Order: sequence, then structure tokens, then C-alpha cells
Amino acid sequence: MVSYRLAAGGLVNRGNALSFTFDGKIYRGLQGDTLASALLANGELLVGRSFKYHRPRGIVTAGSAEPNALVTIGAGARSEPNTRATVAELYDGLAAASQNRWPSLAFDIGAVNSLLSPFLSAGFYYKTFMWPAAFWEKVYEPLIRRAAGLGRLVTEADPDRYEKAWAHCDLLVIGSGPAGLMAALAAGRAGARVILVDEGFRLGGSLLSDSAVVGGLKAADFAGQVLAELATLSNVTLMARTTVFGWYDDMVFGAVEKVQKHVAHPTPDLPVERLWRIVAKRAILAAGAEERPLVFGGNDRPGVMTAGAARTYLNRYGVAVGQRVAIFTNGGSGYGLARDLTDSGVEVTALIDARRESADIAPESVRLIRGGAVTSTRGTRALKSIIADRSGFEEEIACDALAMSGGWSPVVHLMCQRGARPVWSEERQAFLAPDVGAAFVAAGSAAGLDRLSACLRDGADKATVLARDLGFAAYETEIPDVAGDYDPAFAPLWYVPGSKGKAFVDFQNDVTVADLGLSQREAYSHVEMTKRYTTGGMATDQGKLGNVNTIGIVAGMRGVSPAEIGTTTFRPFYTPVSFGAMAGTARGEHSRPVRRSPLHGWAARNGAVFVEAGLWYRSSWFPREGEKTWREAVDREVRTVRASAGLCDVSTLGKIEIFGLGAAEFLNRVYSNAFLKLPVGKARYGLMLREDGIVYDDGTTSRLSENHYVLTTTTAYATDVMAHLEFAAQALWPHLDVRFASSSDQWAQMSIAGPKARIILQRVVEDDLSDAAFPFLSAREVMLKGGLAARLFRISFSGELAYELAVPAGYGEAVADAIMEAGYEEGICAYGVEALNVLRIEKGHVTHNELDGRTTADDVGLGRMMAMQKPDFIGKHLSTRFGLTAADRLQMVGLKPVEADAEIKAGAHLLKENAKPSMVNDQGFVSSACYSPTLNSFIALAMLKSGRERYGEKIVVWDALRGSEVLAEVCPPVFVDPDNKNLHV
Amino acid sequence: MTLSFAHRHVLEDHIVGFETKPNPHHLAVARRPTILSVLSHAGFEAGVKAALQALEGVSVRICGPAEWLAVSHSVGPEALLRLVRAIEGVSAFDHSDGRVLMQITGPNVRKILSKCLAVDIDRDRFPIGASASMQIAHVAGNLARTGEDAFEIIVPRSYAGTLFEEVKEMGREFALTAAFSPE
Amino acid sequence: MASLITCPHCGVRPKEEFSIRGDAVPVRPAPNAGAEAWYAYVYVRDNPKGRIEEHWHHTAGCRRWLVVERDNVTHTVFSVRDAADVAKARSGEVA
Repeated sequence: MVSYRLAAGGLVNRGNALSFTFDGKIYRGLQGDTLASALLANGELLVGRSFKYHRPRGIVTAGSAEPNALVTIGAGARSEPNTRATVAELYDGLAAASQNRWPSLAFDIGAVNSLLSPFLSAGFYYKTFMWPAAFWEKVYEPLIRRAAGLGRLVTEADPDRYEKAWAHCDLLVIGSGPAGLMAALAAGRAGARVILVDEGFRLGGSLLSDSAVVGGLKAADFAGQVLAELATLSNVTLMARTTVFGWYDDMVFGAVEKVQKHVAHPTPDLPVERLWRIVAKRAILAAGAEERPLVFGGNDRPGVMTAGAARTYLNRYGVAVGQRVAIFTNGGSGYGLARDLTDSGVEVTALIDARRESADIAPESVRLIRGGAVTSTRGTRALKSIIADRSGFEEEIACDALAMSGGWSPVVHLMCQRGARPVWSEERQAFLAPDVGAAFVAAGSAAGLDRLSACLRDGADKATVLARDLGFAAYETEIPDVAGDYDPAFAPLWYVPGSKGKAFVDFQNDVTVADLGLSQREAYSHVEMTKRYTTGGMATDQGKLGNVNTIGIVAGMRGVSPAEIGTTTFRPFYTPVSFGAMAGTARGEHSRPVRRSPLHGWAARNGAVFVEAGLWYRSSWFPREGEKTWREAVDREVRTVRASAGLCDVSTLGKIEIFGLGAAEFLNRVYSNAFLKLPVGKARYGLMLREDGIVYDDGTTSRLSENHYVLTTTTAYATDVMAHLEFAAQALWPHLDVRFASSSDQWAQMSIAGPKARIILQRVVEDDLSDAAFPFLSAREVMLKGGLAARLFRISFSGELAYELAVPAGYGEAVADAIMEAGYEEGICAYGVEALNVLRIEKGHVTHNELDGRTTADDVGLGRMMAMQKPDFIGKHLSTRFGLTAADRLQMVGLKPVEADAEIKAGAHLLKENAKPSMVNDQGFVSSACYSPTLNSFIALAMLKSGRERYGEKIVVWDALRGSEVLAEVCPPVFVDPDNKNLHV
Repeated sequence: MTLSFAHRHVLEDHIVGFETKPNPHHLAVARRPTILSVLSHAGFEAGVKAALQALEGVSVRICGPAEWLAVSHSVGPEALLRLVRAIEGVSAFDHSDGRVLMQITGPNVRKILSKCLAVDIDRDRFPIGASASMQIAHVAGNLARTGEDAFEIIVPRSYAGTLFEEVKEMGREFALTAAFSPE
Repeated sequence: MASLITCPHCGVRPKEEFSIRGDAVPVRPAPNAGAEAWYAYVYVRDNPKGRIEEHWHHTAGCRRWLVVERDNVTHTVFSVRDAADVAKARSGEVA
């Protein structure tokens, strides 16, 4: 046992012991512990194996920058890999496992990689695994992935819930340490809406680890006092366990709240994590500063950690990181730790200060070595001793822990995520936050300040300025006196000369000083190149601990200032965010909204098989007993419609109510065909073009009264056409008196088609439906028997006598049921979109299969719909371009296989007989195909070069994808009732 | 042949079983409110808005400039349509079947809604009587504040099931119950 | 892009409520304008770096088309106006 729990002290609840396991072994910790502090309290130094060399690694930090102590927490579908033990809140029943070791953490076969390290230097896999190329995917990559790894992903579905939420505030304070607390207090007292967030499970930040006395209270108690006041302010929201991971445009911040990551059995009534988007008028970054490790030989041995971490374990968790602790520092941090350890009765074997002189005072009992350095460490799985060098004299000092401090780097990530780069300060020997404007400022040690009192004042002052800026009357906040803090100022020491053995810069990715040197020699010297060549800063910790040292060392190698090297690019996320949190509730069938037709229940009762169509679920066919394939059902539905009648749900078509004196003129301009003279009570088929002359959408528009029209769109283009019309009305012709709104959801609309449609419908409709009273293309309000007002349109997509009946959505199912009952004797059937598709192909009607964004009206045989005599309509002016009128354009034709049972599939290409398949020989393609039970043959619609001149020609339907070649005859695209006799019966 | 057609609310598939006693957080779905879409022609906007607001038993919801929903629990659609069409410069149509109205109430209602929408509904910024069209649980709907802790959501019928389930899910934290409003 | 757009009718809204059509600078030519003018209107676009004007549709809000003037480098939004007002102003009428 090396590290251990002290008899007293810390912010842990000694009355509440928690049981947890690590690699199956049972341990006890205390409420208030992290997994890391609990492991240290149990003397467990070894927590992981490094990524590349599988070196034994211990805990280095006490926070979110931790590179080594990555563990898998939880079991089964709930297991979460790569969790930092240093921020994982301990709970009763927590089960953690180490990673990247086999067969066990203590004895790891992969450690043999250490012996191969000459071959595993920076860029090794670019050099080693180059040839043959085919080996990469099959051999090298799996091999590397097995050897070098992090935790394993689980493949089971995540059983937990996640949520997303928005929050709004005047001031967002990021970090609840001294600066953040005072900022929240100043702005909160002024009445501003404040949100204070901190990634820790207990608010207070560094005050929780500090031995200083603030306002006569222990630092942690002072934090508690401020938090108690903040909790009484209704305008202040406190959010613990919440990490702000990103700063986005317009002062929107992304944050993730761990709601139930600290419980063994999450309740399903709460999410485990909640993703926040916080809209802040102003924000203060009070994220503190990160202590830099020192770079010397063997600086990765378990037992070596930052001085600040050792201090946190001591003061916050009551854990001594060793029985004999050595300290290696280049500034005041080491002295602060030496004092705290001594005060707690922990032996400090030596305090080695890299500086020859400093004003810092070591405790009397501690041996101080000025101008010294640690050049290497000893011990197999744990630290046994260090080699200290002083002016060339080496001395071995026995110790079981080494605390190091290489100075401080303000945590400025968030302020650098929108393009601004941190600014190097020679004075502070650190990168400081860039100026990103007055709305978002850094405060406290995040702003480069070092003394506790200065941080307290800075937070209060900056919040006061921001609150006043927003119009709040903010008064000066009294700053408490501070006693017993230390001066964390330091002198730069990027690398310890004379180091022996590997000196790590990036612990997680096993990047050493030698790797950095190699990258400079091999010309990967730009900092972004160095990063990618060495992988320094590319691990899950994104170089929080190592990057500044990397820059300092590279600067030293090149003899320039770190300012000249600069930093790599900062991007969200500050710490890893789970996919679950980002998805929120949008998982599986909740990935996007579902739209249900008002006839959904009717279709379901009639046995519909549903198909997703955009957001809709549409009934695609209605199988009956004994029908073994979908084709059998569809064939029957088509035959029934042609012979008797069928009912199809067409509610999903877009419907737009259009009003105004300018409505007719508006329609005349958005459709290619004429609309000015459409009589009241009539429907007309309309074709819309894009401004480039290509067909956009089609549908019918009916004039219900003098200045009231209802326009229909295809299902797929309903939302687009609505926006298109709005653009035309608002941005193109704002002077036209036309107003419209979607009524798509108001109506349940059903198509009743077939020779018996009228007889059946007349049993339900009061109005006379005879051909004389209600001829083809009639459109008007009718009364159903029983007194329900409805809209009836005599239009046909199938080519049969057909009506579309629209009733208020809530009555849809009842009316559809009534029509089915009315048509029982005639054998009416429900038919779905598959049969609808067959019916329209037989009739040669187009859908977006043909109107695919490349076709003109003439291409699809609708050239007559181009009313070129109109002065203007959308698409008119570019429709006559050379390319759109060329003689060899693809034109819509019909195809019939020479052998009726030969199947043609959509997507197949067309070739002249005996022509080799090639781009040059391509004659066109099949746009729609089906089996026609009416013709007892497969049929198709196709786009064919100069197609209308080629009726009668035999053509090869070539489908390499599905391996078929069918000989077909080119024919007119209307297979059924070409003279439209059925429409007018 | 005389027919009578039963009217069916789209959420009947979602609200099943016996009516539960409402909890403090409750989602009440109106069975058959009258909802009209009202459009003003250019130049009449202010007059139309004022005339709509003067109608008795009618609550006016803002959809956008010159577009409103007129909501009533006491006036039927035909009667309201007659009243509204009498206003100069108006076009209107019955949207009662195309829109679903639900009221959500409870002390933490804003917390539930903050999980469904991005708009700041703090009392100073979205006071009682305010209404606007916005994205609610990924659906384009209309939100109105009807009380300190009461809001009404109006969404297109085809999306109502999705929205209802999503709001209920977001209300689990506060034991949100849901039922049709008593007639 | 921007995270938030201040709609002149609805106030501050998340970008998810909008859909973007593209450049708002080209003006639809008169019906009798020549082929060159129509070609330029439909196909020719500048691709400036910096301040641009775009048509945004407040799809999930008021359903108005807006002209958003913004910087495609800094993402600063300078102004958001109703497209009908902009169109009227362009045609010489005071909006």
C-alpha cells in the first residue's frame, strides 16, 4: 500500500461507505469520492495500460484532462468505455474495468510492444504498413486496432433515455471556482438571469481543493456559503455535472448534463444525460487553469502525478497519494503542496525546484533542492525512486509518489472554438484567451490570473460590467480576505535536459520528446503536421495536458518562441459527448416525426401493409386471405378497379386554399398552362415548372368560388410546393392580392375509381352525380346523406370513371367505411399505392419517377400544357433554350416485352439491338415498370432518345445490376383506353 | 339510406383506457374545438386583428403577419366562419379537423416545454396572451400562453400523435398525465 | 450559418426553423427581358466572401420569406427583412 486514506479531512462523507469493484475486485470508497480518489484510497496506483507501448499507467490528474485513468464503467448494454476515473462520481455498486490489457492489468502481453519501440516511433504506421495496399484493410488495421486500443464499444442497444433542452439567460458562467462563484453572485444579486454550470458533481471548483482561508472560512465552506445564497435567488440556475463543450454562433453554448451517470440503476423517468443548448446574452469563462506536467525520463510511471492533483486528493478527498512524496516543480505550486502534505502529516522526501532562486518558502521539515531536476524514475509497476540531478551530481531518492508542476495553462478552449487563436504571453509563459468581443470574457485563472484573491475579484468585476451592460443595476461586490494561499507563479521548463528513458509529452497517445524531434527532422514541423505525424493531442483527451508542452518543446528545438509555433485548431467538443446525448429522443422510429393519414385506421382495419413515404405511412396494398405474394394482392386490386370499383387513400396529397382577387392571375403565373378562365366548380390539371424550364410538380386545381381555389400537389412535393408558392407570392409578386394557407391536414381524401364508382358513391352523396349533373372535371361542395358537407372532384389518375371525395379529417374513417359498405355488392375493394401505381402506368400518367428534375413538359408528352401565349409564367423564358428543345432529347414512351412474362425493372438502360453497353450507346432508361394484370404482361414507361419517333422499334432493356436483358417493343405510353372513353361515361 | 358518420379524434388511438385523475402536470386534449385559419388581405391587417380580438368567446393565435388561428370552445365552426367572413378584408376556412389543440399545465410546465422548443418562454418575454408559430418537438405548431403555468399547443392533425407522445415523454420527469378535456 | 436568426415577425429563433434558398441579390427579370437576362437570373451567381444576402424561409414559424444579410466568414447577421418589403423597395416603392 502506497497511497492511503487519511484519518480525517476532505469533503468525503466518512459515515457513508460505498462498495465498488475494479477488475472484479471489491473495494470500499466514500460518498463524495471519485473513482480515482477511491482507488487511491485503496492503494491502487496502476489503473491502465498505455495506448501504444502498453506501459503501466497511473492516475495523473484529478479532473477532466486525465489521459491515463480511462476505464469502462457499467456492464452489458450500459457499459461505457473510456470514462475518466478522475471525474467519475463514485456510487454504491459501481463496476469498473481497466482497458487495453490482456490477460490482466498487472500482466499484459502487449507490453512486449515496449521492446519494439524502436519500430513504433512517430509515423510508424505510415512507414511500416504501406505495402501491399490491399493488406491495410484486412491485415494491418485489425492488427493495430487489437494491439493499440481503448475500451470496447458495446453493440447492444442503449437501454437508457436521453433528452435535449434549451435554456436562456442573461449571463452564463462556466465554472464554479472562485471567479465563477463571484461572477454568478454579482450578476445574480443584480437581478440578471444567471446560469452557473460546472462539470463537477459538487460546485465550488478549485475552492474544494484549496487549503486557503477565505473570508474567515475554509475555502470549501466559503464556496458553500456563496452557493447557499445563490440557491435563494430565483433568477439563478445552478447546474452541477454539466460540461459546456462548445461555443457556437450567436452566443449559443452546447452543454451536456450527466443526470443519472452516478447511480447504479437509473430511473426511466429521467434521462441519463441531457444535452443543453444555452442561449446567453453574455458569458464568462471561469474554467480555471490546467497544471502542466514536467517532461523528464520516466515521467509516466504510476505514482507520478501533477502537484495540483496530489493537492486535490489530499484536501478534497482526504487521500495521501503516497507515504513518501517527492515534489518536482518549477513554481509555487510544489511549495503549496509541500506545505499541505506536511500539515497533514504526510512525509515529503524532497522538494526539487528547477529554479535556482525563488521567493517561495518550503516547510522547514522538507529538504529543498534548488536548481535540481528529476531525470528518470525507477520502479516496475509503481514508483520506487527518482534520480535527481543537481549540477551534474546524481542522487537516487526513494519515494512512492512524485508530484510535478510545470506551471499553468489557462483553460481557454471554448473561446477558441470559433476561429480565434489563443495568444502567447511571454510574461505568463502561457497561451491566454483571445479577445472575442465584449459578450464573452475569461475571468480568474482562465484569464491568466494566479492569486486566489485576484480570481475572486476578477469574477465579480467582470460580471458587474456585463450585468450593467445589459441594463442591470449591479453594485460592487465585497471581496473577502484571503489567507494562506500560495503564489503559483513559475519559470518555464519545457524539457529536463539529461533525461534518461522515454520522456512523455502526450501520455495517452504515447508521444515522447524523441517523437517530436523525429517529426521536426522529417519536415513535419508545422504544429498541425507535428500533431498528425506524432498523433500528439489526438487522443480522447485532445491534448489538454500535453499540447502546451508539445508547443514549448518544438519551439525549443527550433529556437523560436512558442508564439511562433502557435496552437493547433480548437474545436468542439471540449470533452467527449455521447452519441446518445446528441440524438436525444430521436432514435429508431422516433428519428423523425411520423405523419398519419386520417384514413390510417380505416386502412389498418382493411388489412393494409404500410410503406414509409417521406414522413407518411401510406397503405401500399391490402392482402387478403390466400394471397401469397404482394403481387397477387396488387393484381387483384387493379382488376377490381378496372372491372368494378376501388377506394384509395389520397389524403397525403398537398392541399392549399388560395384566396384573393389576384388568385387567378397568380395561378396563371405559377402553372405553365392557362388558368385565367377556369370556371367556378371546375378542376384543371396543372403543370408547374421551375424557373429553368424543367417540370417541378403537377396536380389539380379547382375553383370553388369566384376568388377561392384549392390547389393540390403530389405527396412528395407538398411542403416544397407550398414554400415555392409562398416565395412567388411574397418575393416575386408582392403586389398580387393572393393569400393562401395549407389545408392538407383538414381533409380526409379518398379516390373512388372504377366503372361502378358513380353507382356506389351516389348511395352516399345527396347531390345528383349523373354525368350531366356532375361531368368530368366537376369540383364542388356536395352534401353527404345524413348532412355532412364534403368536397367532390371528378378527376381520375387511374383512367377509370373516378371521383375524389374530401371530408373533414375526423369523419374520414366513417365515410370510407360507409362507401365500402355501399359498394359491397359491387365488390369494391381497398387499393393501395402499389395498385395506384400500376393503374397510372397503364394509363401513361406521370409521377416523380418521370418528373425527375431533368424532364421538360414536352419530354413527358405534356407539350400542350405549355401556354406560350401567356406573357409570363415561371419557367417560360428558359423553356425554349436550345438544350431543352434538342431533337434527341429523351422522350417518354411505353415498353412492352416481346415475351409477355419477361420482367422489366425500373432503372434498366436501353440499348439498340446488338449494341454494346456503353455511355455512347445508351438510348435511355426505364423510369417506371410493373406487371399489368389488365394486359397480362409486364409493361414500362421509359425515357428514350427521340422516343416518339421510334414506336414499333425493338429495343434491349439492359439491366446489368440485376443481370437481365429483355427485348421490348417501343410503344405509345398509354396502354389502356387511349381515347379516354372511360373518363366521360 | 340515411347515414350518420361518427367523428373520431386522431388521438383516440393514443389516449386509451379509463380517464386518469389528472396530476399537477397534465396534458389536456380538446375534443372538438373550433379552429379557423384566418388570412387578411393587404391593407386590412390591423382592422382584421382588432375585429377578431373583439369576437366573444374567441381566442386569437398569431401565426404570422396577416395570419391567425381563431380558436373557440363555445362557437361552432359554421357560426364562427360567418362571423369572421363578415370582417372586411378577410379570407378564412374551417381548420377544426386539421388542427389538434392540447393544453399543458403544471408548476414545471416551462421545464417540460424547454425540452420541446427553443423559444424563450420566460414570463417577461412570452407573457400570458402571447402566441406564435414555432417548432415544437420537431413539428411546426403554434404555442400560446394561457396562464402563468398553462400553455396551449396547436399542431397539424397528421403530426399530433408524434407530438403527443414526445410531450408525454418529456413530461415523465414530472409525472405528466394526459387525457381528453372534459366536454 | 448562424445558430439564431431574429425573424422580424417572430423574434429570435433557432436556425432549425428556417430553410435557405440561396442568393437574394438576383431580381427576376421583366417577362420581355432578353435571354441573357433570364440566363443570368437563373444561373449566374457571385460567390462573394464576406457580406451576402440570402433568402431564408421561416418554414416552422410565420412562413414568411426573409432576406438575411450576413457574413459568411464571421457568421455575423447584419439584418433580417421581410422579402416582400425588400421586393417592394427594389421596385421603387417605399416599404
